[in-house]
Amino acid sequence: MLQQIPTIVVDGILLGLIYAILGLGLSLVLGIMGIVNVAHSAFIMLGSFFAFELFRRMGVDPIVAFFLSFPVFFVLGALVYRLLVTRVERAPQTQGLVAMFGLMVLIENLGTIAWTTDTRVITAPYTNASLVVGNVTLVHVKLIAGLLALLLIAGFWALLRFTLVGKAIRAMGQNRVAATTIGVNVARLSAIMFGLGIACAGAAGVALAMIFPFSPNTQVQWLAWAFLVVILGGLGNVANTLVAGLVVGLIQTFCTAFMPFDYVYLVLYVLLAVILVVRREGLSHAVRRAI
Amino acid sequence: MTAAARRLRVTDVSAGYVPGHPVLRGVNLTAEPGRITVILGPNGAGKSTLLKVIAGFLPPATGAIRLGDADISALPPHRHVEHGVGLLPQGRSAFPDLTVMENIELGGWSIRSDRARLRASVEAMLTRYPHLRPLRNRMAGSLSGGQQRAVEIARLLVSNPSVLLVDEPSVGLSPIVASQMYKELAALKAEGRTILLVDQDVRAAIRVADYVYVLNSGKNDIEGDRSAFEGDLGAIVRGWLGV
Repeated sequence: MLQQIPTIVVDGILLGLIYAILGLGLSLVLGIMGIVNVAHSAFIMLGSFFAFELFRRMGVDPIVAFFLSFPVFFVLGALVYRLLVTRVERAPQTQGLVAMFGLMVLIENLGTIAWTTDTRVITAPYTNASLVVGNVTLVHVKLIAGLLALLLIAGFWALLRFTLVGKAIRAMGQNRVAATTIGVNVARLSAIMFGLGIACAGAAGVALAMIFPFSPNTQVQWLAWAFLVVILGGLGNVANTLVAGLVVGLIQTFCTAFMPFDYVYLVLYVLLAVILVVRREGLSHAVRRAI
Repeated sequence: MTAAARRLRVTDVSAGYVPGHPVLRGVNLTAEPGRITVILGPNGAGKSTLLKVIAGFLPPATGAIRLGDADISALPPHRHVEHGVGLLPQGRSAFPDLTVMENIELGGWSIRSDRARLRASVEAMLTRYPHLRPLRNRMAGSLSGGQQRAVEIARLLVSNPSVLLVDEPSVGLSPIVASQMYKELAALKAEGRTILLVDQDVRAAIRVADYVYVLNSGKNDIEGDRSAFEGDLGAIVRGWLGV
């Protein structure tokens, strides 16, 4: 059993990177814009089917689909922001929540009409291949999905930390009026931020589809995992979201290795309950903190 | 170098937050370049609302706001900076979880396409406020109230606005820091900028004012040069309080 531990750790890290991007868009949209986007997971599901259809119809590799998904879902997110979110973002929180819940139900049902509830998988040429390095067995598809996720996280981190647009996005999350006084068009920047959040969801959907089976209904499960990462990591913080994703990934792989799979959820949600009692702001230092 | 200052003219402006209940009712004023124009009045007179209207956060129901020859009445708030109008809002407005440097850089959002100018403007601000240079990598939220005010002013000046709208600049500051704030306003005036100041600290505001407007119940009440107010200050304030 001890020989398996390096593999379990690496598996947990790779899975954690994917879980991190699962929660990243949700965390940023919630932390910076204050929007509880419960439809986030529906866009993750659409991302999975985006990769599935490209692979099935045109033989497009999921790696290529990952990069294609970002601009496609960015535009989709910006449209959703303009058409729906702008109508509810100034309304009391419950109205926005209901609107986003309605969108989630709509997308899931449209997904069921389009793809039925059958479970799908993407079997790329490298899906079943693996690589052994010392004691560690690296499954190609997990390694690829994990590295793609890491690339996305690094991209978001660099965008928000080093570019003027990223700094303006952070500023907008801290004081919208002050951001406006320096000339920031907060309506446009909000559309960009929401678009980035949905782009992150779409890309996460592609990465998940490379590893896990999926159907339109699995989005509810992804929503729970995304919220788990957000609650653990706190709001609007890329680094803490990454740490939270890694914690969830490692707990899952260790639990799966040493106990029946059903206990994974028990352990994670007990951990979540303990964190909420002991440290309601999650792993970060504040309920609403910058990047 | 200061941007060419222009006259700010508010003509017959009415505005409010609820239809049918105007807070401002036909306000007129003119702020000249190189002068500090002060707006005084009791609570609820509409002073801060007037600044919101001028800054574009509240559209006027009637009337016009002109900057030089340009009508800026319908301009959205984020576009005022492009026209050389800068607002220093009431209370703390530095972005607390951004560094001092990031705060100042963001002041140049409107000139971001000219990276060299942006860099030069940020450097000029660190030269102008040398006490901010060693703090440039500190989070703005970790600074004292006076230091945060300096960050806000530096951020405001990066785009080199010709008109400054200043709302209650001394709120929350110690007397010494507040006094420095008024000295800074005098220095900005000396650079030829048009300054419109709304203040509850009547004495301090009149000390730096060149011209004073008093609003009452959303309308112009009295106006005049500073000298006209210095002698009658007590009577004016007693009049607001109704004693």
